[in-house]
Amino acid sequence: MSAGNLLVWVIWVATAIICVGSALAVVIFRNPLFSALALIGNLVSLAVFYLLLSAEFVAAAQVLVYAGAVMVMFLFVIAYVGWETDVAWSGGPSWQTLGGITAGAAILAELLVVIALKAGGQLSQVQDVGQAFGSPRSIGRVFVSNHLLAFEVISIVLLVAAVGGVVLGVQKRRAEQERST
Amino acid sequence: MLGPGIPFYLGVASALFAIGLTGVLLRRNPLIMLLSVELMLNGTNLALIAFARQHASLTGQVFALAVIAIAASEVVVGLGLVVAMARKKIDLDIDVLSRLRR
Amino acid sequence: MIAVGAWICLLSPLVAALAIALGANRFSRKATGYLATGSTAISFIAAILALGATLDRPESERSTVTTAFVWLGTHVGSIDLALLVDPLSLVMMLVVSGVGSLIIAYSIGYMDGEEEERRYFAYMAIFVFSMLLLVESANFLLLLAGWGLVGLSSYLLIGFWHERPSAVAAAKKAFIVNAIGDAAMMLSLFALLQHTGTLDFAAVFAQAEGLGKHPALINIVALGLLAGALAKSAQIPLHTWLPDAMEGPTPVSALIHAATMVTAGVYLIVRAHPLFEQAPYVQDAAAGLGAATLLGAGLIALVQTDIKRVIAYSTMSQIGYMFLAAGIGAYGAAIFHLMTHAFFKALLFLGAGIVIHALGGEQDMRKMGGLRKRLPRTFACMLVGTGALVGLPPLSGFFSKDVILAEVFSSGTYGKVLFAAGISGVFLTALYSFRLLFLVFSGEESEPARKRLTKHAGAEGPGWMTRPVAVLALLAIGGGWLEIAGLWHPFSTFLDQVAPPLVGAPSSAREWLLSAGSLGIALGGVWVAWTIYSARTQPAPRAPKALVEKLYFDRAYDLIFYRPAVALSALLRTLVERPVIESSEREIEAQTLTAGRLVTLTQSGLTRSYALAVAAGVSVIVIFFLALR
Repeated sequence: MSAGNLLVWVIWVATAIICVGSALAVVIFRNPLFSALALIGNLVSLAVFYLLLSAEFVAAAQVLVYAGAVMVMFLFVIAYVGWETDVAWSGGPSWQTLGGITAGAAILAELLVVIALKAGGQLSQVQDVGQAFGSPRSIGRVFVSNHLLAFEVISIVLLVAAVGGVVLGVQKRRAEQERST
Repeated sequence: MLGPGIPFYLGVASALFAIGLTGVLLRRNPLIMLLSVELMLNGTNLALIAFARQHASLTGQVFALAVIAIAASEVVVGLGLVVAMARKKIDLDIDVLSRLRR
Repeated sequence: MIAVGAWICLLSPLVAALAIALGANRFSRKATGYLATGSTAISFIAAILALGATLDRPESERSTVTTAFVWLGTHVGSIDLALLVDPLSLVMMLVVSGVGSLIIAYSIGYMDGEEEERRYFAYMAIFVFSMLLLVESANFLLLLAGWGLVGLSSYLLIGFWHERPSAVAAAKKAFIVNAIGDAAMMLSLFALLQHTGTLDFAAVFAQAEGLGKHPALINIVALGLLAGALAKSAQIPLHTWLPDAMEGPTPVSALIHAATMVTAGVYLIVRAHPLFEQAPYVQDAAAGLGAATLLGAGLIALVQTDIKRVIAYSTMSQIGYMFLAAGIGAYGAAIFHLMTHAFFKALLFLGAGIVIHALGGEQDMRKMGGLRKRLPRTFACMLVGTGALVGLPPLSGFFSKDVILAEVFSSGTYGKVLFAAGISGVFLTALYSFRLLFLVFSGEESEPARKRLTKHAGAEGPGWMTRPVAVLALLAIGGGWLEIAGLWHPFSTFLDQVAPPLVGAPSSAREWLLSAGSLGIALGGVWVAWTIYSARTQPAPRAPKALVEKLYFDRAYDLIFYRPAVALSALLRTLVERPVIESSEREIEAQTLTAGRLVTLTQSGLTRSYALAVAAGVSVIVIFFLALR
């Protein structure tokens, strides 16, 4: 194994540990604040994965948009709402708990089985990509040519979400004002 | 390609997805449920990017960007609801909320 | 022309019945009466037209079949909605519609003021339709349909006054006894269908000789048909329902249980005579049972106190004569007597109805007497009817009964035995019928009569009641002149094409001798009745217990059939019904509730449970797809 390959492997394993570990942390922590912070860690590790997969623009977008804007919004809300923890899991594990764990394990198992089945065949043929693969220029070019519709639709969705957010916020304030008068 | 092959990335993506699913099914705090949903979305994103790399097609990356945008919008609405619930002093418990419908 | 006549004849009463049923309160009560009478009269006119058209044709072509459509066609034969117009069915159509319209007209007066008059007329119309269907059908299936429908109409009409438990019980009894006959008849029809592949009269009778080669088969078929006839015509042993059927209104008794329905059995035997001729033992049995009924009913009639029951037993007895005739193969004579009997028996019933109506509902003859002064015209008509019944010339009964007796006498040794029964029957008939006449009309006026008759000063009854009676009296007088033995017999010639008699026409001398003999015996019976009953001074002789108990038939049936059936059903109730059926009802209810409760568990309303369900479903589906590959 060449040195470059080894380096990539090492980075990969470390990132994978952080990724899965932070994912588990999100689900396990009682305090939503800690879960959110764990998710930020998860997002950053994912960005590393994207870089390894020659998706530079997406990695940057992930960090800026997802980890930067979305998670910050999460943290604001958690701060506002307060971090009362979940009601403790009283009594023994309920149907729901058992069922949830089973379903999750089942789906994981199934996915891994499929991947394993295909690992030797279809999944082993990786095509070569050029330097410009994943660069902002290529992405941009694709957005305004092949996937122009997707581009427009995303814009509309974002607009709707923004409007929705404002509406939700405004209504509450007006309702509060009515209540206080 | 240097480093591990596509199956490994897909394995990690599956793990993320499964963990997120378990979180949705097991936790009662809507905030944590939202975070788990984000986990699932991220798992999907990783898979998309991996496949894009495998087929040398930018479509996967475009789709992943779309997912990020959609996830952001969904978070906006979800958090708005959580804030509304908090304002009305409702318990942040999904089981209580389900019963509130009646 | 013939076809049109046949269809109009059949359908006219049905249309009236439907109109009355659907019209409900929109028709006034009188209007329904007119509607029913009018439709039956239309049937009569249509039948006359058909008769005229048939007579126009040469003798060999007097049988017309008119088909509406083929209902069930097989490769062997078919069962159609088809009517048969031939001399036999024409005679029956005329009798049913003619006498029927007179009786329904009478009902307009008799049932006046009844609460549910409209229902009555609807039922009467349905009955006339059913009877016409029975006699006009061209195949056994339609005949069976008509058979069942007349049974139904009879049930409905006997139980017309359904608030009376006795009427309801009588209706049930009639229906159940008839059902026994119906079941036997159906088995016969199944056998016929299986072996000939058709139920069409012409087709079946053409194969009669072939069937005759299988004695077991033909005997079973004939026996089943005979059982049906016995039940419908109230002959021993299936006769127990007829006296009870007097619970119905008097016109019903006149129409259904005297003139028409009970004669359906005779019609069946005559119609299916090719089959019966292949089963001679069954035919002999028919004659024998007819003779037995003739005597038994006559004896029982001697001790009855209800005026209608006397006439009912008289009907049973006279139909015994018809069975006697049909049993020895004198088909023309049987049908001739059927016709004259319809006239004078309906006359007697309707006359009795006038008496009952005038006395405000009283039917016990012991409370009657001396009505001759108050109801002179009724008395005259009843006298005519009774004379015809007894067989006094020149009234109709004389001609028809004597033909039967003559032909019975001349059919072998068995015939002589039957003749003895028949002649004794003549004596009994004279005795009981004049007993009725004397008890009701002669002597001093009884107390109840005096009390009630003051209401009806003047006319003996409403015009609607008296006029049909008068018409029937005329028919009773002249109806027999269609067949004077030895001199002219258009009637039997008319019927001969359809039902050639097995017995040759007796020589005139013998017949005149026999007539004289039976007339003498009849007059003897009249004389005995006169001595015993007319003055009403001596107390009536004590009635033998056996006769009062109607020869113990009802008791026997009760013991043999009814009580065991009740005991068996009680036993089954404890053994089977309670543990099995009722507990399973409870179990099913309990289990369904439990299952429902289980299902409710899935509908918790919790989001997470639903999410879990989705996840679980997805994983199962993925496994499924993996396995498929």
